[in-house]
Amino acid sequence: MAYLFRSVLIQSLNKTIRPMWTTINRNMSSHSKETDEEFDERWKAYFDRPSIDGWDIRQGINHMNRLDLIPEPEIITACLKACRRVNDHSLAVRYLEAIRYKSNAVSKEVWPWILQEIRPTLSELGVSSPEDLGYDKPELALKSVDDM
Amino acid sequence: MNNLLLRHVKLTHPQVTSMLQYQCRLNASTTTTTTTTTAGSKSVIQQSPIVLDNTKPPPPLDADRMRMHPRIGNREIVGYGLKGKPEYFDLVMFPCPSIRWEADTSEIAELRKKEKGDWKQLSTEDKKRLYRASFRQTFEEFTAPSGIWKWTMGWTLIALAGLILAYDGWRRVAYPFETPDSFGEEKLKKQLQYHIAARQGPMTGLSAKWDYETGTWKK
Repeated sequence: MAYLFRSVLIQSLNKTIRPMWTTINRNMSSHSKETDEEFDERWKAYFDRPSIDGWDIRQGINHMNRLDLIPEPEIITACLKACRRVNDHSLAVRYLEAIRYKSNAVSKEVWPWILQEIRPTLSELGVSSPEDLGYDKPELALKSVDDM
Repeated sequence: MNNLLLRHVKLTHPQVTSMLQYQCRLNASTTTTTTTTTAGSKSVIQQSPIVLDNTKPPPPLDADRMRMHPRIGNREIVGYGLKGKPEYFDLVMFPCPSIRWEADTSEIAELRKKEKGDWKQLSTEDKKRLYRASFRQTFEEFTAPSGIWKWTMGWTLIALAGLILAYDGWRRVAYPFETPDSFGEEKLKKQLQYHIAARQGPMTGLSAKWDYETGTWKK
């Protein structure tokens, strides 16, 4: 079968259940006793690999988006630097948009704080935030896929 | 001899892909053993009937693309996506689809070259163009409210009104009302006399308009 199959790295990243936006070190899952710092370190190491390619970045972004958390600014900067290594600016903007959407679901104060934390990286790499591109408001009014 | 046996067979898609695979393997084995140019491998693709009309030479053929080519065209496969299939999607849960939205034209190739350099040199228009080349809609666009609630609300109320009217119509048809004899003129007059005699509505109603001394209606 010609399905896309790729490295099984994703199987090594087991999922931990964690409440959103909490600083308490409480672990709800039963199959892993990982702390917040270890979690952050693992993901930072994943994105900091110098030979990472677009496929693995997308895998990482999709996987982390499913988890019940908003990534720390350190993980976000690691991912943006990875995008810089593969020369894909739109992917970085997409990632920021995903985080923005998720954080707005929690509270209106989260996204400005995250932006403020990663602003040095944004200006260093030259990545535009979604607001800079005007993507915090809808630009095109295309037909929804459900209506076709 | 074989030329006389012309069979007009419409090839199904799996048959075409298996033919293409066979030809590609043949080509690959000849290019590795002999030093033929890459023009040989291009001719395989251009000969096949399912090539889309694109000015750029198509990307290298691999197993995924041979299966999905008529569906996705020459767009670059960039990721795993949802289930491993090279399809485009805009979902909140999965920000990165498995293929780019647009095929690589020459102007996009120019922008990609620029992208390899310093991103501060890219203008906002360049960045927006690159984004639209990779993605169809922004997050704000595909999460924007669609206004379908007005449609559902309106049609629900119309359906409710229609049902109520239908029920009333059915009742009028199914239960006809024959008037009893107390609806006749004589009986109604008698009823009015009784009402006035019983002083019904003495202040502001019926009997207030009746003059009891003269026995007529008040002027």
